[in-house]
Amino acid sequence: MLDFFQTLSDGVLFGATYALIGIGFTLVFGVMHKINMAYAAASVGGAYAGLLVLKVMAGAPPWLVFLGAFVAGGLLGWMVYVACFHFIPLSSPLATLMSTVGMLLLIDEVIVHVTDGMPQGYPAMFDDVMLRAGEFSMRGDLLLIFGVSVLAMIGLLLLLYRTSLGLATRAVSQQPVAAQLCGIRLVRVNALTFVVTGLLGGLAGALIGASVGTLSPLLTVPLTVKGLIVTVIGGLGSIPGAIVAGLLVGGFENVLQLYRGVTERDLYVMLLLFVFLVFRPGGIFAARSGRD
Amino acid sequence: MKKLALAVSLALAAGVAHAQTINIAGFGAKTGPVRSFGVNSHAALLAAADVINKAGGVKLADGSKAKMAVEFYDDRCDAAEGISVIRRIAGTNALVAVGPTCSNVAEPLFGILQKKVGDAGDSGLQFPVFTDVAIKVGLAKISEWAFRNVPNEMTMYNSLFYWLHTQHPEMKTVYAGVEEDFAHSRATWYIVMKPRAEASGFNVLGNTKWLLADTNFATQVREMKKANADIVAISAHPFSTCGVLKEMQRQGVKPKLLVGLTSSSSLETLQGCAKQAEGIIIPTSFAPINKEAVAAAQTTAKFKGAADLHSMAAWENMFILKNVMESEGISGKPGDLQADRRKVRDGLAKLKTTKGLMGVTKRDAEREADKPYLFVHAKKGEWKVLYNPL
Repeated sequence: MLDFFQTLSDGVLFGATYALIGIGFTLVFGVMHKINMAYAAASVGGAYAGLLVLKVMAGAPPWLVFLGAFVAGGLLGWMVYVACFHFIPLSSPLATLMSTVGMLLLIDEVIVHVTDGMPQGYPAMFDDVMLRAGEFSMRGDLLLIFGVSVLAMIGLLLLLYRTSLGLATRAVSQQPVAAQLCGIRLVRVNALTFVVTGLLGGLAGALIGASVGTLSPLLTVPLTVKGLIVTVIGGLGSIPGAIVAGLLVGGFENVLQLYRGVTERDLYVMLLLFVFLVFRPGGIFAARSGRD
Repeated sequence: MKKLALAVSLALAAGVAHAQTINIAGFGAKTGPVRSFGVNSHAALLAAADVINKAGGVKLADGSKAKMAVEFYDDRCDAAEGISVIRRIAGTNALVAVGPTCSNVAEPLFGILQKKVGDAGDSGLQFPVFTDVAIKVGLAKISEWAFRNVPNEMTMYNSLFYWLHTQHPEMKTVYAGVEEDFAHSRATWYIVMKPRAEASGFNVLGNTKWLLADTNFATQVREMKKANADIVAISAHPFSTCGVLKEMQRQGVKPKLLVGLTSSSSLETLQGCAKQAEGIIIPTSFAPINKEAVAAAQTTAKFKGAADLHSMAAWENMFILKNVMESEGISGKPGDLQADRRKVRDGLAKLKTTKGLMGVTKRDAEREADKPYLFVHAKKGEWKVLYNPL
């Protein structure tokens, strides 16, 4: 029984990394009703860019590297917006989807070329902290990530519901034409949405790199897949949904791995997604609706 | 006199203009997460070609000399791409291909080559492939056009576990961590390490598994902790090896000895987790322990590659191919391309031994290599020789 609770706890805490990525996917969808497939790759790219802090200042503290990743993530977010959304007709959903897939591959290859595919050690905070209660333990760095996810959720909700930018963002997401008629600049709102999600993404990438201990281009595609699963299960456009779904997916896959092995683990995660798509297609935080 | 000088100049110019080139195709992963292997192989091929060309090049059947030219193709560590690449290479004027990087490419790729030379009923590709990196056990026997210059892991791990057993008789048990979704790491544990450890008298308690791109190893390391084995063998590539080692550090799992996969005796492991990898023992077929090896490493570095057991196999391949081309008397003429390819194949098949950077390499009837090896361990951020049976 202890094994089960320990495994569940490990998985739920690790799911906080998925939640952070899911928040970015869901926020862009919530505003623009588009999926940004390059989000996870840009997050990892931001994390790599954060390592430049160590090149400039050897021995810099981890929080400074995370800050560098935060800023780089915002910049990358803006670049993704300009390259994949600004000049592409938003009325064509396939066009923006394919452009972001292309951007995902581009960012991945840039990372591989710049680093020659070599994993890079990543500085961590609280990675040597283990909270123990007898045989049961919890990783300090994963608790940090969980805390950041919750703070990110609160921050984003405050941004959306307590600021003029948030008001404009919600207006654009509901009625883009009407919002423009009210004087809201669509391009500015969309670009800022990408910058905000990019900032979060850079921080998410840095925290994920820190939790793994090593950054590698191998992370981009699995994080993209997990981020999308979490976004769908949580409910497209729901930030609390992304958090809950991230933790759910993390716990679920870890427990299934314990009992069914690593080779079957991903099968069950996909099955979980399938169950949600069939029985609750709007996700966890969605109003019940009939199959028609 | 002036006319003579002019005639000599024209003759020289004509000679230069018609200087022959022997084309060697390299192929491997130049993009994707295992790009470093392709980068290093490419650099080693260029470096070896440079040394050979500066020494005059390859002597052809008519006594003239030809320069070696290398063109490298990217197979992205993908089987379908690898097959497409080899077909493309076969359509060029390349005499032979050196590659691929990944065993999951090599196995199906060898499958499309003609199985038996001279079999008129077999329409498989008749093109010699001389592998430098793809190391999964027993692949060259798939086709008589396939040759490998990769270390024999069966021999190396047999020797390693036997040596560990004699050096540490107090150590009785082994537990493994296996990267399940990569052909090399998976095969090396189940077919090589496990039986060799058992044959050396160790009790193999079991193994845990993960995937190449996994980032959470908590469950697996807990299984390792429960097993409490004297030796932990990690059959995985650098990224997940580092992930597991870091998790072992977090959970306080400290086996008496760590054994790693051959491909992890590289710069990647040290860059990713030098501190956690301290003391890990890995058998390898390359270390810069003599003048030739040091020179090869330095020359490869000039072409922006790192020297390790894989890239130095590519270096060795070029010199072996040069010797084979000269001994078989290839013509280098465009009209004799297929005949020259056959000569290269036949020449490689005849070899019983080749000269490698670590010493003499034996070659067996299944076109595999039995290379000299030694054991290295990670010490203070570097790979140091632990034991040299040479």
